[in-house]
Amino acid sequence: MLERNDLRSRPRWLRFPFQSSTQDVPQARVGARPAAEPRWLVPFVFACLFLLCLLPLISLAKAGFAGLVSGQSIGVLTEPATFAAIRNTLITATGGMIVSVVIGAIFAFAVALTDVRGKLALSFAFMLPMMIPPQVTALAWVEMTGPASPLLKTLGIAPPLGSPQPLYSLAGISLLLGVQHAPLVFLALKAGLSASPRDGVEAARLAGATPFRVISDIVAPLSLPGLIAGAAIAFVSGVGNFGIPAILGIPAGIEVLPTLIYTRLASFGAGTFGEIALLSSLIAVIAAAGLILQQRALSGRDYRIIGLSGAHAAFALGRYRLVVEMALVAILFFVLAAPLAALVASSLVPAYGVPLTFKTMTFHAFEEILFRQAVTRTAFFNSLSLASGAAVGLLFVTVLAAYALTRRRDGLSRIVSSLVEIPYSLPGIVMAVCFILVFAAPVPVLNVTLYGTVWIILIAYFSSFFAVSLKPVVSAFHQLDPALEEAARLSGAGFFRRLKDIIVPLIAPAAGASVILVFLIACNELTISALLWSAGTQTLGVAIYNLDDSGSSDLASALSVLVVLMVVFMMLLLELMAKRLPRGVVPWRN
Amino acid sequence: MKSFVSVLAGALTAALLSTAAYAENLVLYTSQPNEDAQATVDAFQAANPGIEVEWVREGTTKIMAKLMAEIEAGNPVADVLLIADTVTMQRLKEAGHLADYKSPEAANYDAALYDADGAYYSTKMITTGIVYNTSAAMKPAGWQDLTKTEAKGLVTMPSPLTSGAALIHAQTLSNIDGLGWDYYKALAANGATAAGGNGGVLKAVATGEKAYGMLVDFMAIREKAKGAPVEFVFPAEGVSTVTEPVGILKTAKNVDAAKKFVDFLLSEEGQNTAVKMGYIPARNGVALPEGYPARETIKVLPVNAADAVKNSDADLKTFSGIFGTN
Repeated sequence: MLERNDLRSRPRWLRFPFQSSTQDVPQARVGARPAAEPRWLVPFVFACLFLLCLLPLISLAKAGFAGLVSGQSIGVLTEPATFAAIRNTLITATGGMIVSVVIGAIFAFAVALTDVRGKLALSFAFMLPMMIPPQVTALAWVEMTGPASPLLKTLGIAPPLGSPQPLYSLAGISLLLGVQHAPLVFLALKAGLSASPRDGVEAARLAGATPFRVISDIVAPLSLPGLIAGAAIAFVSGVGNFGIPAILGIPAGIEVLPTLIYTRLASFGAGTFGEIALLSSLIAVIAAAGLILQQRALSGRDYRIIGLSGAHAAFALGRYRLVVEMALVAILFFVLAAPLAALVASSLVPAYGVPLTFKTMTFHAFEEILFRQAVTRTAFFNSLSLASGAAVGLLFVTVLAAYALTRRRDGLSRIVSSLVEIPYSLPGIVMAVCFILVFAAPVPVLNVTLYGTVWIILIAYFSSFFAVSLKPVVSAFHQLDPALEEAARLSGAGFFRRLKDIIVPLIAPAAGASVILVFLIACNELTISALLWSAGTQTLGVAIYNLDDSGSSDLASALSVLVVLMVVFMMLLLELMAKRLPRGVVPWRN
Repeated sequence: MKSFVSVLAGALTAALLSTAAYAENLVLYTSQPNEDAQATVDAFQAANPGIEVEWVREGTTKIMAKLMAEIEAGNPVADVLLIADTVTMQRLKEAGHLADYKSPEAANYDAALYDADGAYYSTKMITTGIVYNTSAAMKPAGWQDLTKTEAKGLVTMPSPLTSGAALIHAQTLSNIDGLGWDYYKALAANGATAAGGNGGVLKAVATGEKAYGMLVDFMAIREKAKGAPVEFVFPAEGVSTVTEPVGILKTAKNVDAAKKFVDFLLSEEGQNTAVKMGYIPARNGVALPEGYPARETIKVLPVNAADAVKNSDADLKTFSGIFGTN
């Protein structure tokens, strides 16, 4: 039934499971010299990879090393604040991971293995917290709990004066990180569970195995790799999350490494580059440690399934079905509906601490944000154009890169494939610091300063989301029959002609998916732009964070509500397109 | 698909063009809250058609860090600064970053309110006093009340690492006999927190997470007028004050527009705009907004500006040492 597969196709070093789908088995001729590609292709791809993946890391290492050698920045490593931040980072990331695993696993098992109804709607709703920007999640939860919650006040069950906001704590940060990243565990686990063999389960049941026995002997071993992988991503994402600890931790004086970097850079400026490089390296080390641990745990657990997969193994819940469904809906109510309701409520009150009634309700915040605040327009414009720029621009690079990579199978291309995933695996704040270090001084030769312009954000997006864009394109290339292109080449079609007439039409659906995924992620991004924004280059994430920071939480809530609507709209759009897209591209679908 | 791509490509081109357009606009870096900054800019644009203003809002300390980083990178974006305090302006002037401009409006101002060389001009008076939630048990009357046991764990204040007003406030109180850094140590021992900007303090007190806070006057008075459950007190010992000066950067690309902006803020119209937002105007002969006591009854604590400039970094460190890093 189960076969241990020790022939791993390539190292799992720093790879996210939903990128390393098992379908990319090498099918090109090993060592074949790709005669058909133009001479400039490989140098071009390598130049892009060097600029986007290697150069930033080299700059970080250089600045950190320089800080250490000169002794100027070494003090930061021995400061109590740094120790506290490391401790807090580890606690919140671990706590968040546990919450993610629990919630994510419940949903994944229920959706993948049982006969609950409304699976698509449940999955869709469960994916929302991941797509909503983390600072919006944090704002919504803050509005939901605490002594001044418009929701609780309206319901008359607000806690008394002086009650501390319960979320302004390590536990609060962990809880929200857990909610935010639970969909990652859900995805990692569901992929494995959906593929678990129905005939295996049926055979076991026929042989008289109890449901418990089936779970412990068939389902559990099959789901363990997904669970470990999901847990590792949740941990790494928790280490790098900025939005949640920024809203919940900074007011309470709880610093984690990303917020420590942000406050240092925001309050002390460029003089602290050495210190910040060191702090970023700390995050990178913690993130890498988490992923190495995952790899260790997974080694020797690489099961491959023989037989019919894809058919889902359904457990009939019988009369418990309604109970399970109610429980799932209840979880969704608490992690999604209630906070969003609170967010809407707080965007409608006239001032802090006023209960929301039909009498007090006002649309002032929406009026202000939509029609008066210039920053809203700027932010929507910047986020949308940065996101489309990153999505479309990356596609041009990734199509060429995928072409070059899939047509050769030497060691170099393997190294390159791993290289691409480093910037994606590293927390955004580390990449932002890297790019500040690269571009703080004017670009040599051209003598152009990118720091403080929108371009530095765009380049950082290119780097961070390269892997996201590359994955669907590479899998489409693997499904491409090389004979088609070969035939075109023999008929005398040039490289661009072949690209235009053969390749692009064939990979179009995957390319569309790559564009949409990058767009969705980049649109809601805060961590990178929080460090890189300047006059006129505020993104939506930055605008929301600054509005809240300046005390205009009604405006922040109103803008957040608009952003949530936009996210839901785009997800629905993706859902509508789902039928035309390759399997596995729309994350909440089977 | 093709049209989708072309729309996106169009958006990208537009983005390209718009970054070029920013160079034409007057760029303002300010620490005013978003709504006030927008209202100020709107009033200025209405009075000076044809000038577009691009503005950025952050706490004074943060926006200075941003500006200094840009200056170091050789690409300062801002033309004109409107930030919390003259101490920061004086530091910038001494570092050679400010341009001198003699505004014709200066005649209507007390000479103490602007730089003799014209590097910066005070635009309003912002005092820091005590805000409390109306359901709080104690009605505080002076600074020392915040160290009492009734206020244990219920006090919050903005951090000088974010707010320029908070830095001046700490520098003012720390030099007053009977208060000093010992007062801040007593506050810390009483469970007071210091984090973020004034906005966060207002939120914490109005929402009842904390009962008492140190806060700039206009935020509390304005929020009370909107119906929030807060009261503002000018403490018996006196208040610290900042004057929200405006100054033009030496590297400004739009010098003429920047000069017009300075003149507008100082003009009667500009001052009335500030009064409408609930600020104490700096110009002679302009009345205070509603909700304030008479100007002469507000006792302002003295601060030695030269010392404040010199000791800023040391004072930030001292404060951080008492309240933690943020």
